[in-house]
Amino acid sequence: MIDPSTADPQAESRREAALAALGDVWDPELGLDVVSLGLVYDVRAEDDRVEIDMTLTTPGCPVSEQLPSEAESAVRAALPGVEVTVNVVWDPPWTPERLSPLALERLGFRRR
Amino acid sequence: MVVQTQPAPRTAPAPPSVPVPGESVPPPSVPLSFLAAAGLGLSLFGLAVWFAADRIVTSPAHPGALAAVHVGMLAFLTTAVLGAAHQFTPVVARRPLRSVTVARVTFVGMVATAWLLPSGFAHGPESLVAAGGVTGAVTVLLAAWNLSGPLSVRGRGVPLAGLRLSVTYLVATVAFGVVYAFDRQAAWFPLLPHRVLAHAHVGLLGWLGLTYVAVAEKLWPMFLLAHRPRAREGAWAVGLVGAGVPLLAAGLLFAAPAVAWPGGLAVGAGLVCHLVSLVQVVRHRRRPLELLHGFLFASAAFLVVAVAFGAAAALLPVDTPTRTRLVTAEVAALAAWLGLAVIGHAHKIVPFIAYKALRARGVTTGRSGRPLLFADLLHRPTARLTLAVAAAGYLLAVAGAAAASRDVLAVGGATVAAAGVLVTANLAIGPRRAVRAGGAATSS
Repeated sequence: MIDPSTADPQAESRREAALAALGDVWDPELGLDVVSLGLVYDVRAEDDRVEIDMTLTTPGCPVSEQLPSEAESAVRAALPGVEVTVNVVWDPPWTPERLSPLALERLGFRRR
Repeated sequence: MVVQTQPAPRTAPAPPSVPVPGESVPPPSVPLSFLAAAGLGLSLFGLAVWFAADRIVTSPAHPGALAAVHVGMLAFLTTAVLGAAHQFTPVVARRPLRSVTVARVTFVGMVATAWLLPSGFAHGPESLVAAGGVTGAVTVLLAAWNLSGPLSVRGRGVPLAGLRLSVTYLVATVAFGVVYAFDRQAAWFPLLPHRVLAHAHVGLLGWLGLTYVAVAEKLWPMFLLAHRPRAREGAWAVGLVGAGVPLLAAGLLFAAPAVAWPGGLAVGAGLVCHLVSLVQVVRHRRRPLELLHGFLFASAAFLVVAVAFGAAAALLPVDTPTRTRLVTAEVAALAAWLGLAVIGHAHKIVPFIAYKALRARGVTTGRSGRPLLFADLLHRPTARLTLAVAAAGYLLAVAGAAAASRDVLAVGGATVAAAGVLVTANLAIGPRRAVRAGGAATSS
C-alpha cells in the first residue's frame, strides 16, 4: 500500500496529472466525467507508481468492466512509463451525495 | 468488496490491470443478433395481427390467431428477452455464459422455432408444428444450460433470484408447448381454452413477466440514480409472482378455481408491488425523467389494464363470448405491457452494447467531438415517435380485442408493425452514424 503522507513534489505532480486524465474519462450513460461524478475515491502516487481507487454507481452496472479500463488507459497515456493500477472498490458504496456541484447541475439533481 | 488488481509489469507494454471488457460478457454480436431479430419479429407480429384480426376477435383458438400470438411470443418477446438475458445475466453475476458457441446456436434455434411453429399453425402440416415444438424445446434447454452458469452464482440479490425462477418457467412454458404440439396429432386430451390459457400465463407471467419484474429491480434504480436503502417492493414482487404463477397455471390447467384464485391473487399482488417499486424509484430519482420512462409509464398502464381485464373475466357473471373477449383483451394488454417495456429498454441496451463494440473499433468521440455517449447512438425524435406509434398500436390492439372489432385490431397490428420498423431502423442506423462521425472527428 502506498502511503499518501510520503508524497513528494514529483508524486504530487503525477497525482494531479492522473486526476486531470481521469477528468477526461466520461460515464457514457450520464455524460459526465468520473471525477465530477465522485467515482474516484483516491489517487496515490509514489516513485514510478500511481494507484487509483475508484467505484461505480452500482455493482453490476453496464460499464462495470469498461469504465475502469478506460480510466487506466487514460492515466497510462498521461503518464507514460508509470505503473498504473486501478482498484475497483465497493466500500464505501457510491451515493449521489458524492456528485460534484457541476454534476448536480448537469443532472438536474435535487439535493435531499 | 474490493477487487484487488494485479500490478502491471514494469516493462512496457503493460497490460491493463483492470478486468478487460468482454471478460464476462459475450461478444456484442451475440445479444445484438437476438435484438435485431426481435426488431424484425415485432414488425412481423404486427403484420400477423393485421392479417389474423378477424380470427382473433371471432375465435382466439383458431390456427391463424395462434400463429399470430406465437409470432409475438417467439419472434419478438422471447427472442428479445433471451438476447437481453445473455447480456445482462453475466454482467450482474460477474460470471460468463457457459459457452458463446451455444449462445449462437440458441439464436439460430430461436429463429427457426419462431418460423416453424407459427408457419405450422397457419399453414400446416401438423408435422411442422411438432418440428417447431421440438426445435423450441432443444433451443430453450440450451439457453437454460448456458444461462445456468452465471445464474448459479450465489447471492447478487433480487434480479438473479428472479431470473433463476423465470428461466425455470421458460422451460415449463416450452414443456407445455411440446405436449400441446404433439397432442394435436395424438389427441391425448382435448385442448380446451382453460388448458391453452395455462400455457399462455406461464409464458407471459412466469417467463417474460417475472424476468422483467426481476431485471427492473437492477435497471430502474441504476438508470435514475435512485437509492432506496430499505426497499422491499422488488423482493415481494418477485416472490409473489414467482409463487403465484404455478398455482394460477395449475388452477387453469385442471379447471380448479380453488387453486387458481390464490395463485391469481398472489400474481396480482406481486404486480402491484412491481408498480409500487416503479413509483418509489421515480420518487427517489437523482436524474430527470427521460424517454425510457415514457415507455415505462405507458407499459405500466397496460399492466393495470391487463389486471383489470383478468379480474373482470374471473369475477363478472358474463356469457362465454364476453368472457372470451375479456380474456383476449387481458392477454393483449399483457403483451402490450411487455412489448413496450422491451422496446423502451432496447433504447438503452442496444446503444450500450454498440458503444462497447465501437470503442473496441477505436470510435471514441461523438458527433459534437466530445467523448462518445450512449445518447449519440440513437436519434431521439425518432425514438419519441416510436413511443407514440407503439403505444397507439398496442392501445388499438387491446381496444380491438376488448370490443371484438376486427378493423380496430387490424389497424393496431399495422401500427405495431410500423413501430417495429422505427425502433429497428433507429437503433441500427445510430451506431453507423457514430462511426462516420468518429471518422470525421479523427480526420479533422
